[in-house]
Amino acid sequence: MFRTERFQGYAVEFSPFRENKLACATGANFGIVGNGRLWLLGLESNGLIVDRVYDTQDGLFDCAWSENHENQIVASSGDGSVKLYDVTLMDFPIRFWQEHTKEVLSVNWNLVRKDCFVSGSWDNQIKIWNPELPKSMRTFREHTQCIYNTIWSPYSADVFASCSGDQTLITWDTRIPRSSLTIYAHNNEVLACDWNKYRENVIATGSVDRSIKVWDLRRPDKAVLEFSGHQYAVRRVKFSPHSEFILASTSYDMSLKLWDTQKGGAIFDFGQHTEFVFGLDFSLFDPHLLVSCAWDETVRLINY
Amino acid sequence: MSNRVNQVAGHLAAHHQVGQKHPDDVVIVSALRTPMTRGKRGGFKDTHPEFLLAAVLKATVERTGIDPALIDDIQVGNVLPASGGATQARMAQLYAGFPETSSISTVNRQCSSGLQAVHYIASAIQNGTIDIGIGAGVESMTLSYGPSAMPPSYDDDISAFPAAADCLLPMGITSENVAKKFGVSREKQDSFSALSHKKAANAWKNGWFNEEVIPVTVTQVDKEGNEKKVTVKADDGIRPETTPESLAKLKPAFSKDGFTTAGNASQVSDGAAAVLLMKRSTAKKLNLPILGKFTAFATAGVPPNIMGVGPAYAIPKVLKKVGLNINQVDIYEINEAFASQAVYSVEKLGIDINKVNPKGGAIAMGHPLGATGARQVATLLTELRRTGKKIGVISMCIGSGMGAAAVLEAE
Repeated sequence: MFRTERFQGYAVEFSPFRENKLACATGANFGIVGNGRLWLLGLESNGLIVDRVYDTQDGLFDCAWSENHENQIVASSGDGSVKLYDVTLMDFPIRFWQEHTKEVLSVNWNLVRKDCFVSGSWDNQIKIWNPELPKSMRTFREHTQCIYNTIWSPYSADVFASCSGDQTLITWDTRIPRSSLTIYAHNNEVLACDWNKYRENVIATGSVDRSIKVWDLRRPDKAVLEFSGHQYAVRRVKFSPHSEFILASTSYDMSLKLWDTQKGGAIFDFGQHTEFVFGLDFSLFDPHLLVSCAWDETVRLINY
Repeated sequence: MSNRVNQVAGHLAAHHQVGQKHPDDVVIVSALRTPMTRGKRGGFKDTHPEFLLAAVLKATVERTGIDPALIDDIQVGNVLPASGGATQARMAQLYAGFPETSSISTVNRQCSSGLQAVHYIASAIQNGTIDIGIGAGVESMTLSYGPSAMPPSYDDDISAFPAAADCLLPMGITSENVAKKFGVSREKQDSFSALSHKKAANAWKNGWFNEEVIPVTVTQVDKEGNEKKVTVKADDGIRPETTPESLAKLKPAFSKDGFTTAGNASQVSDGAAAVLLMKRSTAKKLNLPILGKFTAFATAGVPPNIMGVGPAYAIPKVLKKVGLNINQVDIYEINEAFASQAVYSVEKLGIDINKVNPKGGAIAMGHPLGATGARQVATLLTELRRTGKKIGVISMCIGSGMGAAAVLEAE
């Protein structure tokens, strides 16, 4: 366990290049008002240690490691900015973009082409960015409420999904200006979505309605699976990179749960957080290692 | 900054989600009522309210087979009885076979008391105070309606304060105020009222009340003073032959040039109802049937001199809580205190009249003040289930200027 003292965690991500490095995006005062801090953490034999921190004017709500450069990481902020850091350099981002007009709640790096990332904001806009370019490349406007999550397909260089307070999950192809598919996924805000890493048509969503749904994009009229068990809103969902059947979720009910989409039920329940759990990631190198972060100011390594 | 606070608050305020089933949902496993009978003339004219309450509590236990010792608390809505009806309620509970270890209390939010009692029990279950409870309502208007329910005097300063003074207006005058202010014609009120009788008579004919109404055997006294046992099985205020034309002949009851008559106002009645609630997980554990979910509740204040507009404010408020619009509700049970205010509320909100009170309302059945809200739960849930519909809203106006509304979902 590591304590992000005075800062409450929103997102935590393992480096895709080095198994013992991870980053945690946090905000002071629960991200409501005040500074943000991006924590770069090292996983040592005796636990997590701080490698470096970057302080920001406003809270940080998400971060994503570059899939191209092992030292680069992008973080998204409450002031609408998106900042790219080189972890070998102190204090300041190597580039930053100020285009979104409201809180940017999501960033995600393209897994296939690896030369761009996507951001989703409370200004209802999605933007695609190339770290080499001073301005965003594309902007997508169809959501009518806050966008909570934007996630690239692990299969296609151009396809990504977004979810929003407007209760929809939308899939996009960046070569086409309009969305390709809109699913009215829940009867409430959709706070989380993720692609299955093994099945290109499968996406999971999590909602304020406390449920998790698994969708097959070829039959979008009805969820193929629905999990209930969280006592409050589901904040993040992620499919395992190691098994097509394992899905993790975090919730305002302070728990992190693992679900088996084959057998159809919860298989693991982590209850040691004492506040809302926002961030979650699977280690790419150790199939039994998870990390989570929460409003209780802790980053926790979880073996399951 | 406040936006971020509100966003997180919004994520947490999702207890009331429509269309979702969750182990922590507060569900209704039984909703029963006695017949509603005419005050001073009907089936319960010689029956005390505690007997009606005991009857419906007893039936709740018998029909569900639940061990009464498991029922942690009971709230009873009643409006008129002296001392808040608290002692009678406890007597009724013990007589109905509940152990002395059980508890009970009464609640008075005027005409919404029965619904308020259900809501108090639902929230006590939700917040963990109790596991299982009954929200009930009872009124003998035969025994308690009239000046005896009023305090002998009021504070001079407060009575001189206009809004406070308006709280003392007779309900009929507030009905006239609504009709006058918003232009609800006598014709509209009369045809609405005739329809209430027609729908209630039709529902009885088709047996649509059979599930919710329990027979009650009481002692009646005839003119010669002879006592006899009678089993009251049906509402006795419904007049199937009522037409808008026959209602048009009635004289205004509250002001000479007014519109409100004995025919387009709710009847003075006696009756009781009880709703058994618990968490979904508890119902499953006890293997009890789940009739529906108690999804949300709201109250709204309105000017006391037009208190009848209450539903027009309480309904949007409760729907906002669950993120539904007016058209997404399948059935509305809107208490017909007066046709004026019911028609106004329905028209103001743009509710499809065909969705309103499909089994009739208080103009036909009667409005035993404290019982009505709990009675509506039984009437609504059985109709939603019979017709395979899902979402229902209960609402009523409240004397002294309020409205209450609840969202229920049938399962």
